[in-house]
Amino acid sequence: MTTIDTPRPDAIAGENSAGAPRVDNYLTWTKGFLSWALTLDHKRIGAMYLLGILFSFLVGGVFALIVRTELIAPGQTIIEPETYNIFFTLHGAVMVFLVIVPSIPASLGNFVLPIMLGAKDVAFPRLNLFSFHLWIIGAIFTVLALLLGGFDTGWTFYTPYSTKTELGGVIPVIFGVFILGFSSIFTGLNFIVTVHKMRPKGMTWFRMPLFLWALYATALIQILATPVLAITLMLVGIERAFQIGIFDPAMGGDPVLFQHFFWFYSHPAVYIMILPAMGIISELITVHSHRHIFGYRFIAYSSVAIAIFSFLVWGHHMFTSGQSALLNTIFSAITFSVAVPSAIKVFNWMATLYKGSIALNTSMLYALGFIFLFTIGGLTGIYLGTLNVDVHLHDTYFVVAHFHYVMMGSALIGFIGGLHHWWPKMFGKMYDENLGRIAFVLVFVGFNVTFFTQFMLGSHGMPRRYYDYQPEFTTYHLISTIGSYIMAAGFFLTAMYLVHSLFYGRKAPANPWGGRSLEWQCTSPPPHDNFKTTPEVGDCYDFSVVRWNEEEGGYVVQRPDEDPESENV
Amino acid sequence: MISSIANILLGFATAAPGTTPANFWMPEGASVQAPRIDFTFEVINWINYVFFAGITIALLYLVIRYRQRGKNVEFSPGPEHNTPLELTWTIVPTLILVGIFFMGFAGYLDLRTSPKNTYDIKVTAQQWAWEFEYPNGAKSTSELVVPQGRPVRLIMRSKDVLHSLFIPDFRVKQDLVPGRYTYMWFQSDAANDPTDDSDFHWLFCTEYCGDSHWNMNVHVRVFPQEDFEKWTKEQARWLDVIPEEDLYFMAGPKLYARCATCHTIDGSDGTGPSWGPRDGLPALWERIVSGKGKVSGGSKFIPGKTNLSDYIGDGKLYLTPEDYFKDSIYNPGALLVSGYGNQMPTFQGQLNDRAIDALIGMSRNLDEFNADGTFKDQAKLAEAEARIAEAKAAAAELPVEGGNSGAVTD
Repeated sequence: MTTIDTPRPDAIAGENSAGAPRVDNYLTWTKGFLSWALTLDHKRIGAMYLLGILFSFLVGGVFALIVRTELIAPGQTIIEPETYNIFFTLHGAVMVFLVIVPSIPASLGNFVLPIMLGAKDVAFPRLNLFSFHLWIIGAIFTVLALLLGGFDTGWTFYTPYSTKTELGGVIPVIFGVFILGFSSIFTGLNFIVTVHKMRPKGMTWFRMPLFLWALYATALIQILATPVLAITLMLVGIERAFQIGIFDPAMGGDPVLFQHFFWFYSHPAVYIMILPAMGIISELITVHSHRHIFGYRFIAYSSVAIAIFSFLVWGHHMFTSGQSALLNTIFSAITFSVAVPSAIKVFNWMATLYKGSIALNTSMLYALGFIFLFTIGGLTGIYLGTLNVDVHLHDTYFVVAHFHYVMMGSALIGFIGGLHHWWPKMFGKMYDENLGRIAFVLVFVGFNVTFFTQFMLGSHGMPRRYYDYQPEFTTYHLISTIGSYIMAAGFFLTAMYLVHSLFYGRKAPANPWGGRSLEWQCTSPPPHDNFKTTPEVGDCYDFSVVRWNEEEGGYVVQRPDEDPESENV
Repeated sequence: MISSIANILLGFATAAPGTTPANFWMPEGASVQAPRIDFTFEVINWINYVFFAGITIALLYLVIRYRQRGKNVEFSPGPEHNTPLELTWTIVPTLILVGIFFMGFAGYLDLRTSPKNTYDIKVTAQQWAWEFEYPNGAKSTSELVVPQGRPVRLIMRSKDVLHSLFIPDFRVKQDLVPGRYTYMWFQSDAANDPTDDSDFHWLFCTEYCGDSHWNMNVHVRVFPQEDFEKWTKEQARWLDVIPEEDLYFMAGPKLYARCATCHTIDGSDGTGPSWGPRDGLPALWERIVSGKGKVSGGSKFIPGKTNLSDYIGDGKLYLTPEDYFKDSIYNPGALLVSGYGNQMPTFQGQLNDRAIDALIGMSRNLDEFNADGTFKDQAKLAEAEARIAEAKAAAAELPVEGGNSGAVTD
């Protein structure tokens, strides 16, 4: 394992200065731009990813608001059709490739995974830094694509339109996504090796926190599926640049082949987005209800089952593409099988609440919101997996609503919930819990108002990616746009109180929520090396020893032998 | 809160004209396939209502019942797992899903398998229009008219990129893939009123195909057998029966409807250059004749020669303005108007000389047309229509020439 050779300026200074020794803190460990840009510390890399991802989320969100505002009424509202096409494409591409895919693994996962394992860092810290640098380069190419004329292919880059459109941004963005793909692969590779090789003594596979199971399953998909996307997009670029017929029938290619390649990655990618969120929810539900997770093995196995099934269902995006009826039937059948492990997780989370001691903290509200929204997202997936119903609903707003319930209502809500959960750990500050709850309500209500209406739009036949629409769809579009403004208000409020907490927040205790996994045993924020000695591993879901401590302002873990005064234990 | 949102939404939906709780989810079906799809949809709906209500109520109950009071953890060692329970909630959803799969599968086979005696219509899609060709050679681009009570099969192809043909009221959808043929079939037993233009079903393009994807939609109308035959016969010959001098205002607007996706006639901006005066230049015909129009690219572009006058005239690329006009429709990539890309498809084989005449005539008399392409002088139009109807009545005894009308009547 690579070690960090930099001296310990603060530690030395701390010992020399008068008064109490300074607390070892990864944020203030070293100073200066390069100490961050070239850091090998997984915590700093996680924090920088977080900043980049949240900024991209803001950008993608602004694109979404422009799109929704254009759709507030029939006819032209604020932009031209060509501009609209660029904006919905950018919204999709930024949100998928720059935000949701890296969101949880690269930011929260990077930060938490080694600490949960009691390790000092991931297995390959230099690769980890390289993966972040690749993310930055990928993001720069996306911005470049925008400056070179933009691209209007939709985030799906369907051929032959993507090889024919005249806008100059197509090749830069393809290259950007290619690079982002490698960033994702390196993170996945790192996590797999770390989980295999660096578990502490006593932490068997089935004693790992479920978040690690989820990250592990995600990493498997990342390294197996992402290369296919990278190669496919390269082929599109080659076809555009050198007029070699691969997907364009005018040059002897086959456009449906592109769809197979694309969804072979992009369907598993849905699970790259949702699995880590499910892992976070498993943590949030147990910690904030202080109850042992119900059915640990079923949840762990279902993560792996989802990862495996996710490779076998890509054809359900292509029921109307001209794919044969036989293939459609097979893909429909396998698609239904992927619904079962998802259902198992929901039921297990609910059973965990039973006889718990449920603290309605902001992050718990997000977890409960996740269960609600994921239920809607999952149940509406049944319509789309059903062959004859999908023929009617395919490529309408019903699909748009469904995947926003899954990708935003579930994956991103899980990310925001996890962000609130680990925020005190990452930055050592507590945010205003009441503002957090208010912001959650705004986001939750706004989300449902925005996207539930789109189910009705879709079932009535409103196609997606339309700049304008028939007057009979006006009411639903208006409600949907209002909802998006409510949601935006919720996110702005969240940004405000989180930034506020960095400067004025109360100092966070080591264990503000009563968690048992290892990250709650080190200080907030963690020291540079996470742990001085490898910590002892207990059952990370045993909350019988968790006690509230008023002095700490947080929870402490008391074992019977350490706590002679305790009467109950 | 959720129920109140649902109520508000339901209130909005029912407030919209023509929407009742019965079609809260699905629009009224108008094909023989619709009831079966709607039934499957309804079955899933009710299963989902039950699961959704169950999960929501259980979630709210658990959160309220077991909420933490204060900061102390009231620990209670509940069950950590329960295998029979977990197997139950694995197996029961699996069985339900298997049932739903078979409903969808059986329904899908009906949707894919067309009956033997179908009435075949050829569909060609290109950016950004549909063309429907009937067995008697009749062509239509402004609407799809189909016979009532007869299975119709669409034999579809695309000339450029992916498109998808979707008729929500019929519950059918199929992609059009360049380089391949795809089929779709449907049958509608409920006729529209042939005399009422506002009685129709929508046909949308549902596969993103570029700038005017959103505008690539036409009306579908179901005509009773007799009206349908009459319509196809008229459609096959409509351009031929119009006298030369009436072409520009009788045929012009109908042909222009196809151009209107990209070209306005009032000078406002579009995907292609407007026919009207724009950017300080005169209207289209004047731009061509005067040679003041600017070009900046294309396969026949000569670097440095940016005025149309460099290309039109004796000893130049085009002898007459009419030649240029025609070639920019048949071979649109030859010369690209300054500020616009190479996006227009060719219309060679779709527009004959009379059609080109009609469009040239229209562009020369733009002041006689409204911004939406309709002819201003309704009286003149009505008079010309009456003359044609008269001639038609006189010729009614004669058999129809050309075209395979036998296929229409079967």
